[in-house]
Amino acid sequence: MRKAFLQAMKAAVVFLALASSGLVAMAQSRGQAQPKPASPAPPAPRLPNGHPDLSGVWNGGGGIAARSLKPGDHIVLTPQAQKIMDARQSKDDPEANCLPTGVPRMNPYPWRMVQTPTHKPETHILILFEGNIHSYRQIFMDGRPHPEDPDPTWYGHSIGHWEGDTLVVDTVGYNDKFWFDFDGHPHTTQLHTVERFTRTDLNTLSWDITIIDPGAYQKPFTVQTKARFEPSWELMEYICQENNTNVSHIQGPARAPR
Amino acid sequence: MRLRLCLLIATGLLLPVIQAFAHHSFAAEYDEKKVITLKGVVTKFEWTNPHVRFYIDVKDDKGNVTNWDLELMSVNTLTRAGWGRHALNVGDQVTVTAYLAKDGSKRANARGNVTLADGKKIFAGDARNGNGTEQ
Repeated sequence: MRKAFLQAMKAAVVFLALASSGLVAMAQSRGQAQPKPASPAPPAPRLPNGHPDLSGVWNGGGGIAARSLKPGDHIVLTPQAQKIMDARQSKDDPEANCLPTGVPRMNPYPWRMVQTPTHKPETHILILFEGNIHSYRQIFMDGRPHPEDPDPTWYGHSIGHWEGDTLVVDTVGYNDKFWFDFDGHPHTTQLHTVERFTRTDLNTLSWDITIIDPGAYQKPFTVQTKARFEPSWELMEYICQENNTNVSHIQGPARAPR
Repeated sequence: MRLRLCLLIATGLLLPVIQAFAHHSFAAEYDEKKVITLKGVVTKFEWTNPHVRFYIDVKDDKGNVTNWDLELMSVNTLTRAGWGRHALNVGDQVTVTAYLAKDGSKRANARGNVTLADGKKIFAGDARNGNGTEQ
């Protein structure tokens, strides 16, 4: 019997090895559409106004906070935030309920960056999201300050400027309703984010998001992520509310081991 | 039994790949350790977001019929992989391997594991490769 079990385990290991190599092969074959590592991707293009051209459809980016931290950074919650996180149930996850993701969370759908105008310094940069509810962010580039007492919103009030070839976006005025990830990392209306977008080559947008929220975290931390350029994609319709039958079947604490 | 053991362990490891595509927590709705294979006839096909769904009637040994609700990825993800709203039709006979819902309802997640009566795998891999690939 023991021998039979060992044989079964051996078969499972062989199967897994084959399955894993298949996944790797699949990933590699997908990667063939991209330039090979030996010949680096072309540099980031520029707009007539001289700034890096970030426009186009991007996929990926954002962060699952606890899983893509800047090396050396740690998430240290305040006791109150820890209490909120421990009590969170998966069924209450705003994203599962078709509500916006806020920052830094990103859903598994692409988004389009729009810079306008392009012949002189930008006044606006827009991010159009395919998911979770076709929402958008607007980043004011005209030098205005944040309002004194903004109404709390899902995406907050964003002002941007260029530091060399990096777009720096400073956002305050968030509500406290969205979660940073499936695990339910919380925040308060004190949340302040500083995002740094750098198009490191034609195909790659590096996106670092620093989270500053003394109401929920004892020290700031930075999520580091990357998005991939998808020049052949267009945004598609995605109405999450159309047939969202999942919520009534979701159960368990958000922070369950998975 | 041995085969089943292999299947359970394998699906457990493959889960993170699947989870990346969900708009909700996969683990909060489905049990990656409970895999079921169903054979039945399609009664409804919903080409909708956030998830494409189809329903099948499954007959047991005694002739009792149970209707199952099966979840796939989103319209957007499947469209970008070359699949469309005509890939499956009411009346099609399918074999499905899926992760069972945790709440005990007749509901499971079938992404990448749907086979038509003629052996063609659908909603797996990239449709533009021809007959679809294992995923």
